[in-house]
Amino acid sequence: MTLTLITFLPLIAALITLLIPKEQKQAIRLVSLLAAVGQVILAVVIWQGYNPTLAGVDDISKFQFVERAAWFSVELGGYTVSADYLMGIDGLSVTMVILTAIVALVGVGASWNIEKSVKSYFVLYNLMSMSMMGCFLALDFFLFYIFWEVTLIPMYFLIGIWGGKNREYAAIKFFIYTLVGSVLMLLAIIALYASVVDPETGRNTFSMVVMANQQNFISGSALAPSEGNLLRVLAFFALFLAFVIKVPMVPFHTWLPDAHVEAPTPISVVLAGVLLKLGGYGLLRINFPIFPEVFQQFAWWIALFGVISIVYGAFCAIAQTDFKKMVAYSSVSHMGFVLLGISAVNSLGMSGAMLQMFSHGLLSPMMFLLVGVIYERAHTREMDKFGGLAKYMPIYTGFIMLAFMGNLGMPALSGFVAEAFVFLGAFAVEQTRVLAVVGTLGILLSAAYLLRTYRTMFTGERRPNAAYEVEGHHGEEHAHFHDWNGKVDLDGREIALLAPLAAIVIIIGVYPAPVLDLIMPSLNKVAEILSATANVALK
Amino acid sequence: MPDLIQYSIYILLLPLLSFAVQIFFGKKLPRNGDFLATGIIAVSLGLSLYVAFSALGQENFQQEWNFTWANLGTMEIKLGILIDKVTAVMLIVVTGISFLVHFFSIGYMAGEPRYERYFGYLGIFTFSMLGIVLSNNLFAIYCFWELVGLASYLLIGFYFERDSAAAAQKKAFMLNRVGDIGFWIGILMLFAQFQTFNYQEIYQNIGEGKFTWGEGWLTVAGVLLFMGCVGKSAQFPLHTWLPDAMEGPTPVSALIHAATMVAAGVYLVARVFVILTPDALAIIAVIGAVTAFFAATIAITQNDIKRVLAYSTLSQLGYMVMGMGVGAFAAALFHLVTHAFFKAGLFLGSGSVIHATHHEQDMRYMGGLMKKMPITFATFTICLFALAGLPLFTGFLSKDAILAGAVGYANVEGSWAMLIPVLGFSAALLTPFYMGRQWFMVFFGANRADEKPASADDHHHHGHGDNHHHSEIHESAPVMTIPLVILAAMSFFFVFSPNPLDGEKGWFMNAVKTPETKVGITKEGLQSAAQVFSAIGGGEPIAPETPHADETHSGTAHFKDLRQQKLAEASHHAHGTVVTLSISLALLGLVLAYLAYLKNMGAIASPFVLLSKMMNWFNDTFMEGAFVKGIGNLGVKLSSFIGGFDKLVVDGIVNLSATLVQIGGLLFRKLQTGRVQTYIALLLIAVIGYFVSKLV
Repeated sequence: MTLTLITFLPLIAALITLLIPKEQKQAIRLVSLLAAVGQVILAVVIWQGYNPTLAGVDDISKFQFVERAAWFSVELGGYTVSADYLMGIDGLSVTMVILTAIVALVGVGASWNIEKSVKSYFVLYNLMSMSMMGCFLALDFFLFYIFWEVTLIPMYFLIGIWGGKNREYAAIKFFIYTLVGSVLMLLAIIALYASVVDPETGRNTFSMVVMANQQNFISGSALAPSEGNLLRVLAFFALFLAFVIKVPMVPFHTWLPDAHVEAPTPISVVLAGVLLKLGGYGLLRINFPIFPEVFQQFAWWIALFGVISIVYGAFCAIAQTDFKKMVAYSSVSHMGFVLLGISAVNSLGMSGAMLQMFSHGLLSPMMFLLVGVIYERAHTREMDKFGGLAKYMPIYTGFIMLAFMGNLGMPALSGFVAEAFVFLGAFAVEQTRVLAVVGTLGILLSAAYLLRTYRTMFTGERRPNAAYEVEGHHGEEHAHFHDWNGKVDLDGREIALLAPLAAIVIIIGVYPAPVLDLIMPSLNKVAEILSATANVALK
Repeated sequence: MPDLIQYSIYILLLPLLSFAVQIFFGKKLPRNGDFLATGIIAVSLGLSLYVAFSALGQENFQQEWNFTWANLGTMEIKLGILIDKVTAVMLIVVTGISFLVHFFSIGYMAGEPRYERYFGYLGIFTFSMLGIVLSNNLFAIYCFWELVGLASYLLIGFYFERDSAAAAQKKAFMLNRVGDIGFWIGILMLFAQFQTFNYQEIYQNIGEGKFTWGEGWLTVAGVLLFMGCVGKSAQFPLHTWLPDAMEGPTPVSALIHAATMVAAGVYLVARVFVILTPDALAIIAVIGAVTAFFAATIAITQNDIKRVLAYSTLSQLGYMVMGMGVGAFAAALFHLVTHAFFKAGLFLGSGSVIHATHHEQDMRYMGGLMKKMPITFATFTICLFALAGLPLFTGFLSKDAILAGAVGYANVEGSWAMLIPVLGFSAALLTPFYMGRQWFMVFFGANRADEKPASADDHHHHGHGDNHHHSEIHESAPVMTIPLVILAAMSFFFVFSPNPLDGEKGWFMNAVKTPETKVGITKEGLQSAAQVFSAIGGGEPIAPETPHADETHSGTAHFKDLRQQKLAEASHHAHGTVVTLSISLALLGLVLAYLAYLKNMGAIASPFVLLSKMMNWFNDTFMEGAFVKGIGNLGVKLSSFIGGFDKLVVDGIVNLSATLVQIGGLLFRKLQTGRVQTYIALLLIAVIGYFVSKLV
């Protein structure tokens, strides 16, 4: 029941919220907070109960906390389609579940000062939170698909209603992009269902675990892993497109800067922290293990697009003048490492990719929270409207320094370990060696855009056209934002949201072993599946 | 875990504790925690002395300790600590100078804003620098390498309100990153070959000829690793950040940008010395020699007291790098150590002057401080003589050993390699000249504070804004002069050697020996060494011995590698000549500076000034202009092009296809009316309802 509970706690919160009168905003917030805290507690329970020696991936008996029930069975023209409610956890999902719980809680905290239609907001927020968690836990492809689709709808409204000036454009763009991916994914799912048989029941199945074993494909079926089966290539790319849009991989990334710029802070936090990881997770869990030989065929190209994302995203980030857009493009750049790392198909590359997802899942929420803080006070994110903030917002600047350093790959912070492992892994393989060298350009460029931002906004003196005023006598000046009456520097709530993220970033950066112990058996298993060259004998 | 390893972990972590305490509680501590931070470093220093004396007292001392940092199932990444005699000396240098700088800063930084944070930053710097020294592997050294970069960034920008400081901190970070990328790729190469970061294992693998990509790529790997040194030790062409780094508080310049961090590059080369191929070493030697000479010429016409010292640091770092390149391993490290003390003394001395003159840094408005500040004058003079390479002082011993190595190298390599000692000796003449100029301008003659134009931009306005008359100038407080006295005392020859003219007889050169190369004693290496040998007509090549790792090597002249042996012998033979030449050049330089700047014989200065101006022009136009700014601007232009491309082309295609769909009126219209949303929402509710009914 643990997995069902951690997934549907937010749904319960949403249902309770529906019963609360909309004037009682604080009660509504508290319900969501309780659900999110409950999720974190359950995540800790899962973490403590998780046995890291079991690999999972293609063997359901090696999954943990498994919950299984027949879900539905429909007769369609003499053909029975049945899906299971199958949930389980392994090394691919365990860190993502923990990450989702943390980010969802931070997101609730960041939503505290949303005043517009609080009730609808939190209903939608909880629906989104539920579906994200469900995606990481579902092992039945159909169930996964439902959760995957459900993330889309609340997100659309959350951006479209609570967003900035161009929110409708951004929301529709996000919606269409992801919908294109979803339609393709659905086609692939249907084809897979028709081609795969569960050896235990002898029936067709949606189970991803069964699909990850080549021997379970029906010989002669549409997606049978035989020499030159073009349909498998098509199905691979149908899924690939759906997932890399989420990652996002250049050139399918342009929804991301728009969505981020328009989304309210907590939604940016969740979007960057968790939703992007769904893409990387989907590649690792579904796309690559089900079609390992197609993956092998295109691994170099995937790595290439990973590196293009790293370098191109970083260049775009340098060109931005909007703080939030800069952070959004830096996400594109950093998620490129995930693709490069997986394409190396070795322990180092894989673990680097997974660590990068986890690390970026902590660092990018920090960045977006920090952007949100400044936007809330100044109502602008144009970098040249600031200057000299370090003097007036020392605690804020401290967190900025940590988040920036984490992002540009400073050792002792999580981003470095992840990117270092990706480089070590990718360079060790001849196929991706040159790409890894090109990718190192990313660590130079990330320093360029982050330090430029730091210099523009935080050092020097206040700019003449700045969005804040300086008052007080020489030596005791303090800043004042025009219509902002709160604390200029971070307040207690904001520190409480940022500090835990910062702490985890440091812990993993100094000693990543706790995370590595959780993920390595499964990742090594995936690497084994992906690098198995011999064509498996068919039934 | 052996005791010394355990102590070294305390030595490492104590400054980190200081950082954490200062950052989180500094403001609440008495005196903002300056005594506490200094006390913590003192404990670190005490432990370092214990570790160092234990290590230096033993024959062939070496202790190593590893732990598994990451276990990937298929492989383990081990990190750990290595203490040998080089480490032992470096521990004293780092904690010793860090302690003195902490102590000095209590006086120098008194009353500055963010006082508690300053000591915190010193703490994280000392921690990271000790990490570089203690690491036994390339991964950890890279991590600490970046962290000292961070500490340097924070401290250069300590007065971040000043735009020049903000620019300097960013420039330092970026140029270091360029070097570090090379360093990192070098690490990637070695790791891809051997699946380890550990120095000893890498040495062993290379010694056994297991580097399968051939010697050409080993040269590339060596040069890439050296790129880390080019960035951190500010070697040509990545040198331009160091003079700008003088924006940081002066004690920081002493600790980070003179004595320790910038010398880390030399330490790195020492750590990978045995795997550097002759070609890689040749490149290193040339870069070092060029930097030594080039920076020395620029120093001649600098008027800022700190910038003279900064260019002098560049030049001395060039010597060390050159020393490594010519195979004078022990001499280069020796110079690193002696330089750390006398240059820290000079920087702190300049700090004392700047403090006393109320933040005046322009030497043109100084003068006559000898009588006003006798202790500062005396200690500055001793350190200056050491730098200038006068006998009886430490700098002479170490510089002399490097120059002997350079001459030996030129004798062995012939032709083009003559360039290296020529540049080295030229710099040896220029050093006493520009330091003499500084000495005379600052401490002799009449005080020129009144000559300062009133409108002169006083950009160091973090202190007192009002104009002070020179009669108010007086000696700094003991908290500042005591460190000066200690550093000056460390600059006398007897600290390192009983013989004022020969460092070889001293304890340092006895403890630190040039290690046997792992590249030359491979079969291939032996053959090429034999070719070198016969090419220069050096007689019968010795028959190749079976290569095997020999950890104990006594005496510099017994290398299995012919080339290395030849180099050692050649530099030994050169020693006598070099001593005579360097003493003459040092005295000549000082006399010329005396005539030019105290006796106002402008004609004597003019050839030097002309050379300096030419080099300055070259530096501003090409290194600063075309190279740093040019590439920077190119990057900005490229990124605005790519940013525009993303907006117009990539996103344009997306929007265009959306518009096409809209024109088709298929999906978009329905979406806008919300019918599709309603439909999906209904579908969803139905599915969830079905699912819930099944579950219950």
